[in-house]
Amino acid sequence: MTQDTLDARADAFVLGLLDDAQEAEAEAALIADATWAAAVARARDRLLPLDMTAEEHPGAEALWEGIRARLAASQPIPLPAPNPVPTAANSPRRPGRMLPSGIAAAIGILAGAVLGGSWFAPEPVVIAVLLDNAGAPTAVVEDYGGADARIRFVNGVEVPQDRQMQVWTLPSAEMGPISLGLLTGTGTADLDAPRLPEPADGQLYEITLEPRGGSPTGRPTGAILAKGLAARQEGI
Amino acid sequence: MIAPAAAASEDLADALQRCAAGDQQALRQILDAEGGRLLGVAHRMLQRRDLAEEAVQDCMVQIWRKAHQFRAGDGSARGWIFAILRNRCLNVLRDGRRLESLAPTDLTAMQDARLQAAGAGLDALGDQVALKDCLHGLEPASRRAILLAYVGGFTHGEIAAIQSVPLGTAKSWIRRGLDLLRRCLS
Repeated sequence: MTQDTLDARADAFVLGLLDDAQEAEAEAALIADATWAAAVARARDRLLPLDMTAEEHPGAEALWEGIRARLAASQPIPLPAPNPVPTAANSPRRPGRMLPSGIAAAIGILAGAVLGGSWFAPEPVVIAVLLDNAGAPTAVVEDYGGADARIRFVNGVEVPQDRQMQVWTLPSAEMGPISLGLLTGTGTADLDAPRLPEPADGQLYEITLEPRGGSPTGRPTGAILAKGLAARQEGI
Repeated sequence: MIAPAAAASEDLADALQRCAAGDQQALRQILDAEGGRLLGVAHRMLQRRDLAEEAVQDCMVQIWRKAHQFRAGDGSARGWIFAILRNRCLNVLRDGRRLESLAPTDLTAMQDARLQAAGAGLDALGDQVALKDCLHGLEPASRRAILLAYVGGFTHGEIAAIQSVPLGTAKSWIRRGLDLLRRCLS
């Protein structure tokens, strides 16, 4: 991408003019791509004087107690123990592991040793912790590559009656978001994923609320319930 | 001598670093220093005190969570902080469910107020701010479209409707305007 294209895209991102999929990708790239992050920072600073023209409103200090009360829940949170409900007899069990510290820090989560098990079982290529709008962990996706992925919820979610959760990933900008399947509840679920390129470090995973039966367009159309970036598991 | 604005920005960068290390007082310091303006920006985009307060609260929690991602060399701490706020506000505006509880008349009043606020943003820029001259140098339609997007938080589609032009035209006005702004400011 030329400098001009990069800057133009950064401007559009800062103005909030990218579409949902582009926006999610741009947001994710802020962590992984220093050149992009620098272009975005320049764009922000170019337009920041406009924010400074907003009139100051009194009373912000009164918000502190509410904010402080939410901080406790926003510290890096260890993932809860594995789902105690017995899973299928053939379900893979995996050795305990830690996410790489840099990536764990980047997503604000330290995924602890929660996946006890034998040595020879299949191991996920990537794990992504999906966070809700407020930054709270909602679910964990383990992608084994091929067409094999599973999701596990670590927090309750609210799904309106006329909506259904759909899981997506963004293998590349060219492919766009690809559905990994619909969910019927918040139990641990094996995902009905199509065969995709091997999942990469930093790849985006998200859950959106779609009409029952799934997105009518084959792309995410509804509100994002949670999203997160994959952390590659090899060599840990 | 360090100009007050530069000193404040260094303080903010320092506060972000302390947030990343888990110091809640540093977050409090950011709220004390920037809270009034954050509320002001949120109110300008959302036009309702309750929504603006919610956006600022969400913003502060996000700052706390993401403070370790701030890279001082990349840009100003203030730019980073206000970007988080803008993102929260846009989320409210783009999430239809959040606004559907408003009565149609309230919603219309809100849109009108956002429109007006977007128009006033340029006049309020200080004369010494280069951005002001550069914005004035743009075609009026381009300038208005950019202000509608940045100050009012309007989408491409809304901007096209407001300016009564096809979507593609609005997009190209914005893109061309932003290209010229970058050149003017560089």
